[in-house]
Amino acid sequence: MNRTRTAALILALAATTACTTVEPWQRDLHAREDMRPNERDAAVDDHIYFSKEASSGGRGFAGGGCGCN
Amino acid sequence: MQLKKPIGASLAEEAKWEVDSTLLFYGEDNDRVMDASLMTSVRRVLDEDRSINVSLTVDALTGATPSGAVPANAVQTFTSPSGRASYDIAAGDTPLDDNFLDTRVALTAGWKQSLGENMRWSAGLSASHEYDYLHLGAEGRLEWDFNLKNTTAFVGAAYGKEDLDPVGGVPIPLSPMQAADSDAEGDVHGGGTSESKDVVDFLVGVTQVLSRRSLLEVSYSYGQSDGYLNDPYKILSVVDPATGAPVAGPVGSGLNLYVHESRPGSRTKQSLFAEWRYAFDRDSFALSARYMTDDWGIDSQTVDARYRWNINERSYLEPHLRWYTQSAADFYRTVLFNGDPLPQHASADYRLADSDAYTAGFKYGRRTGRGEFSVRLEYYHQQGGPSPGAAVGDLAGFELVPPLSAVIAQFGYKFGF
Repeated sequence: MNRTRTAALILALAATTACTTVEPWQRDLHAREDMRPNERDAAVDDHIYFSKEASSGGRGFAGGGCGCN
Repeated sequence: MQLKKPIGASLAEEAKWEVDSTLLFYGEDNDRVMDASLMTSVRRVLDEDRSINVSLTVDALTGATPSGAVPANAVQTFTSPSGRASYDIAAGDTPLDDNFLDTRVALTAGWKQSLGENMRWSAGLSASHEYDYLHLGAEGRLEWDFNLKNTTAFVGAAYGKEDLDPVGGVPIPLSPMQAADSDAEGDVHGGGTSESKDVVDFLVGVTQVLSRRSLLEVSYSYGQSDGYLNDPYKILSVVDPATGAPVAGPVGSGLNLYVHESRPGSRTKQSLFAEWRYAFDRDSFALSARYMTDDWGIDSQTVDARYRWNINERSYLEPHLRWYTQSAADFYRTVLFNGDPLPQHASADYRLADSDAYTAGFKYGRRTGRGEFSVRLEYYHQQGGPSPGAAVGDLAGFELVPPLSAVIAQFGYKFGF
């Protein structure tokens, strides 16, 4: 049930934003640093939530490497 | 048309060396876990196609963590994990094991390289050490751009080998806690001195540019852990099914009956992750969702949202909200009832319980001629769900899954040269 809902959400999101080819010279906004994930903050968050919750990873690998779980 | 440097241009665009340092303080309420951590990474851009990255993390942990036992209407005595000492928990208090003091050192090294115009690969090694834990890992990732670089597909794999060497040795699953013996040494629990586990992860995904302003990343990951997956320091209370009071432990021990937890020897996790990013003229927004399911019966959902307010070309403010919910593992038990047959697997670890959590915070960053400074402050709150069937007799009056609140303060400084 939850899985269906998540899949539907992702499809709906993708469908509402039709894909168009964006030419290289139109990428000024995508080139901004704030349009990329902050890897350091993500690593800090993964380490904290890995120690406190039963889930990990998602964006990348599951983190881990500590005896905290 | 006048070209100007975009807001938030990366330091790395001009720098050959990039140094990124973070100081993190993590503190839980009620004298639970405190962590101070320093992370430093150095990235060297060798040329347009190649870069190398090395990072070092030092963590110092102190405080107390719930042992898994439940509160009682009388003082409870527990044997510390070493088997050599004991500690008391007052009537009505959540049993916390305060024998928790650790220093962790972690090292990673990574290499990134282009493979022609449209492909890149990266590989990394990691190692971390605590006095009772050793991790060694390796990972690799391949990315491929196509469709005029509007689409990037990626695949990755990681392997980790973890060795546990718990204080006092490895407990035999579901065996009762024994009385403290000040002369005890080494394997006091009878399960050997060390154990290990293997963790393998696979990742496959795609990043799609949707418009001049937005992109969507979707990925699927599969993780398999095999070996010793118990937490050697977690226990469960065995209580009377009518009164909810702890029952007597081994004869002559003077302890109540507490047994060491028992988890299955393998776990398979699957997650689906999606993130949508949108650029306004000045600001940007990122919304992500993750669904995870595993063969322990845990399902979880996470939603994370960040709004980046680029106040001016030098400073930004980024509010952040995160929401998380998980269902309990099939073998999660708040308590075990005296007289019931022992289940094959049981754990009272609150991290395997039904729970909800949220995080709220913000980050402020400022670029100067000497680099970029940032401060991040966040508040995390986790609330366990009800424990149906466990709230018998005395237990009805206690909080069986203790809530957790924590403050996260992170200071960052990065510069390039």
